[in-house]
Amino acid sequence: MVQAPTTGTPGRRRAVEEPATSTEARRRAIRARRLRHGWVGLGLVVPAAAAYAMFVLRPLALTVQYSFYDWNGVTSSTWVGLGNYARLAENPEMLGSIVNALELIVYFSFVPVALGLLTAATIRKLAASRLALVSRTVLFLPQVIPLVAAGIMWTWLLASDGLVNQVLRAVGLGSVTRAWLGDTSTALPAVGVIGAWVALGLCMLLFLSGMTKIDPSLYEAARIDGAGPVREFFAVTLPSVRQEIGVAVTVTVISALAAFDIVYISTQGGPANSTLVPGLEIYYLGFFSRDVGQASALAVVFMLLVLAIVLPIQRLTREGD
Amino acid sequence: MIVSRREVFLGRALLVVLMLVTVVPFLTLFVTALHPPGTYPAGLAWPEDPHWSNFVDAFTAANMGALLWSSVLIEIGVVPVTLLIATLAGFALGHLRPPGHRAIFLTFVVGLTLPFQAVIVPLYYQMRDMGLLNTRWAIILPLIGLYMPFAVMWMRAHFVTMPEELSEAARIDGAGTWKLFSRIHLPLSIPALSSLGILLFLWTWNQFLLAVVLVDDPARRTMAGALGAFQGQWGTDIPLLCAGSLLILTPTLLVFLVFQRRFVSALMQGALKG
Amino acid sequence: MSRTSGSPRVAVVASLGLASLLAATACSAPGTSTAEGGSGTAATSASGDMSCGTEDVTLSAYVETGFPLSAALFEEFTKQHPNVTFDVREDQFAVITQNAPRVLADNPPDLMRLPQVSELAADGLLYDLDAAAETFGWDEWPASQLEQMRVDDDGRRGNGPLYAMGLNFSMTGVFYNKELADQIGMTQPPATLAELDEVLQRAKDAGITPIAQFNGGATGGFAFPLQGLMASYGDPSEINAWTFQQPGARIDTPDNVKAAEHLQRWVENGYFADDVNSLDYSMMMSRFLEGKSLFMFNGDWESGNLDKQMPGKVGFFLVPPLEEGGQVGAMSAPLTYGISARAEHPECAAFFLDWVATDDQARTIAVEVGGSHPMGPADAFMPEVGEDTVTAQTLAAGATIGEANGSMEFIANATGAIYAKSWTPNLQKLVAGEQDGAGLLTAVQADYEREIGR
Repeated sequence: MVQAPTTGTPGRRRAVEEPATSTEARRRAIRARRLRHGWVGLGLVVPAAAAYAMFVLRPLALTVQYSFYDWNGVTSSTWVGLGNYARLAENPEMLGSIVNALELIVYFSFVPVALGLLTAATIRKLAASRLALVSRTVLFLPQVIPLVAAGIMWTWLLASDGLVNQVLRAVGLGSVTRAWLGDTSTALPAVGVIGAWVALGLCMLLFLSGMTKIDPSLYEAARIDGAGPVREFFAVTLPSVRQEIGVAVTVTVISALAAFDIVYISTQGGPANSTLVPGLEIYYLGFFSRDVGQASALAVVFMLLVLAIVLPIQRLTREGD
Repeated sequence: MIVSRREVFLGRALLVVLMLVTVVPFLTLFVTALHPPGTYPAGLAWPEDPHWSNFVDAFTAANMGALLWSSVLIEIGVVPVTLLIATLAGFALGHLRPPGHRAIFLTFVVGLTLPFQAVIVPLYYQMRDMGLLNTRWAIILPLIGLYMPFAVMWMRAHFVTMPEELSEAARIDGAGTWKLFSRIHLPLSIPALSSLGILLFLWTWNQFLLAVVLVDDPARRTMAGALGAFQGQWGTDIPLLCAGSLLILTPTLLVFLVFQRRFVSALMQGALKG
Repeated sequence: MSRTSGSPRVAVVASLGLASLLAATACSAPGTSTAEGGSGTAATSASGDMSCGTEDVTLSAYVETGFPLSAALFEEFTKQHPNVTFDVREDQFAVITQNAPRVLADNPPDLMRLPQVSELAADGLLYDLDAAAETFGWDEWPASQLEQMRVDDDGRRGNGPLYAMGLNFSMTGVFYNKELADQIGMTQPPATLAELDEVLQRAKDAGITPIAQFNGGATGGFAFPLQGLMASYGDPSEINAWTFQQPGARIDTPDNVKAAEHLQRWVENGYFADDVNSLDYSMMMSRFLEGKSLFMFNGDWESGNLDKQMPGKVGFFLVPPLEEGGQVGAMSAPLTYGISARAEHPECAAFFLDWVATDDQARTIAVEVGGSHPMGPADAFMPEVGEDTVTAQTLAAGATIGEANGSMEFIANATGAIYAKSWTPNLQKLVAGEQDGAGLLTAVQADYEREIGR
């Protein structure tokens, strides 16, 4: 599976160099046609670009604009400059939502990636067995269903009478049982568990497919050198799936930062704002408090945060190419 | 390959545990859905008297027929158009490469990491001013736009790999751009197109935020959005809620099981490219 | 080498494109091009005739789920006025609260269950009912029934035009399970707060969860016991002054701090279930109905339901005063319904609201299904209520509160966002032990000032 090349144009260069045998006239004809194609080409991009500009770039620009106003969405607005940003900087609730999103990265991203790597490495050898084929179907289920449904299922599982506590009691851990989503110290990790559950299958299968492409002789060599499973993992497996790791981290980190569906369904940001995330806070500010300017300022900061985190990860992955 | 028996056993055990963890939440949902309506069943316990009628009740209570139809309409509005215009743009940017193609592509790429929440507030007012609030268009139109970065990138990545010779040969034979596209490139891009189609289908079906914000009436929402409304209204009745959730996620499971192979590879490629 | 275009140029073109887009959108401030306010844009057949006419009318209604009152009234109304039908959408109250502003503005219903009305009215989202009040003679009803729904030009409640109506007016207090009460030897409702404390402890010792309450998600149900305690410690009218945004009113008064600390003691003594911070309203109801809890701080809107599900087994009392015979208070509020300023059939909706308060059949439904006292003139028809029902007890308690002048608007209704964004998180912190009684009120007061100051 290849990363889309974004800059190289190898096919093209070959095409230009190749017609060394053809005549000058033909070359000129091609160039003329190319110019015409240029216009055709631009024309073909227009519908996509129009949709993109209308429903992404324009709202994006408007978000920036709104963030400088105090507006309730109904009556007319007042210019407040950087006022909304200043309020954001000193508001523990909004800042807290950003901190929560960062913490969610641990559960939505690090946990499934680490667990996925571990299990994939263990299962690697069974990759062709029937069990592994079945698992491809089963482990994908959480990816297929709406996140809302995942939220509903897990809200029930994590309730005080839910299965999680039932199991804990059965194994003698009755003392730690609680309403996981209703305790300010466990609610965010509990939401994290839901996210990890959704992402684990995808991560694992991603790594597994990467690992099946590793040349078996590398492992044979490692074994002959006397490497145990642990050293083998770090010396052979891990470096070979570096690109897949980068991809998995990117995808899951974005899903952590942009978490909305699961939180909306399971905790609505509570208790005591302990699971409030920027996506939800933007929704509350924009449509509930109707503080459109403040919602937009948070959205702008949120967007920059996502870029600041995702771009470096992307760069690291790209270097692998 | 040297594989010890212990390693095989460990691997199998791990796989089984993983699958259990994946499946048990679904089982809980199912078992809870069979309990008498209005009760709060504890944990995973088979009810003495399974209430299969909950599924029927949930179906009628949620007006599931209308919800399904609405989701289908939204899919019809989103997926073909997105595929079409993304293919055209991808063909142009990846193959024809008109002047400025790189700048255009870069502008699309900018939107790739954009969370929908970043634009949801202005989108609401934009839809309101267009008079489309609370109609399916309020979901369809923005989704097409929001899918553009990914869809264009996906199709461009496909067309970039198409050898130039193919087109040169066709052109020398006198084929125009349209013929070149429809006769040669389109048939070759069917696999890329169908994978993209599957992803778009899934994302649209499961789209929640836009549905919740832009459309009040659950009967004009996507399936996931309708489920949100269902929770809002029936969250007071857990077995019924569970039955409704199952009904709502069943179509995705069916589509998934039918197109399994393509699904898995589409999702994996989707992850890799996104 | 025609294609060594270099990335600077690419970047320039890209940023130019973005910049021009920004310029295109940034020329006008948001909100200037859209309709000015809500009033005036109503494309209604404003004939001034407050009736439903004779032609077929479909009233769109947005109501709270889980309460059969509105459905029962709609059904009866259609029976009496066959040309009127209802197109009903239901959501939980928390969802309605979140949706209210944008639904009223952009998808206007004819009838809608409303949260606190001050900001909605100030933004021109609600239909002014003064004309209807005059036509139907609502002005002659006891003024206290309507004052919570009057909003002046500054967005303060208590005076000004009428922006909503009640389907009935409800009252809160404490429900108790008679069987469990017998079990721990509580023969009659506690007469003082100290007695209540003692009963709570006895229930706790007997292994019963003393109080069923909800405090999860976006709705902190601990505001119910808190406000009850506030009324015992202090003066209900001062609490109302705060809720109605009277200048200078504060919530963190010494009396209220004592009340909050009392609630904190209840939490610390374990009088609530461990998982209250994850319980929603319906789970609280289910636990009380299953007989798992002795008390529940709730309102008389459940009286009808409790009479049906636990007939003869439930009692009701007001949160007791500090000393016997002292000041009592209760939250008492109309079950508020409003009409969007942009509604299609405001006159017919207003006619319906009047019918609810004045039709004998409707008043019977308001009591039997709703459990609360109907709106309307003081001497209007009242249906018979069985003596051993909770409904009878809540109606009687309502009379007591009326005499004692102890009715209060819900503190959670002081501003549009104060419940979800301040009371709820802070009450949840109180339960989690991250906030004490005094800190709770200080935090809420700060949020309140910030919100009103805007």
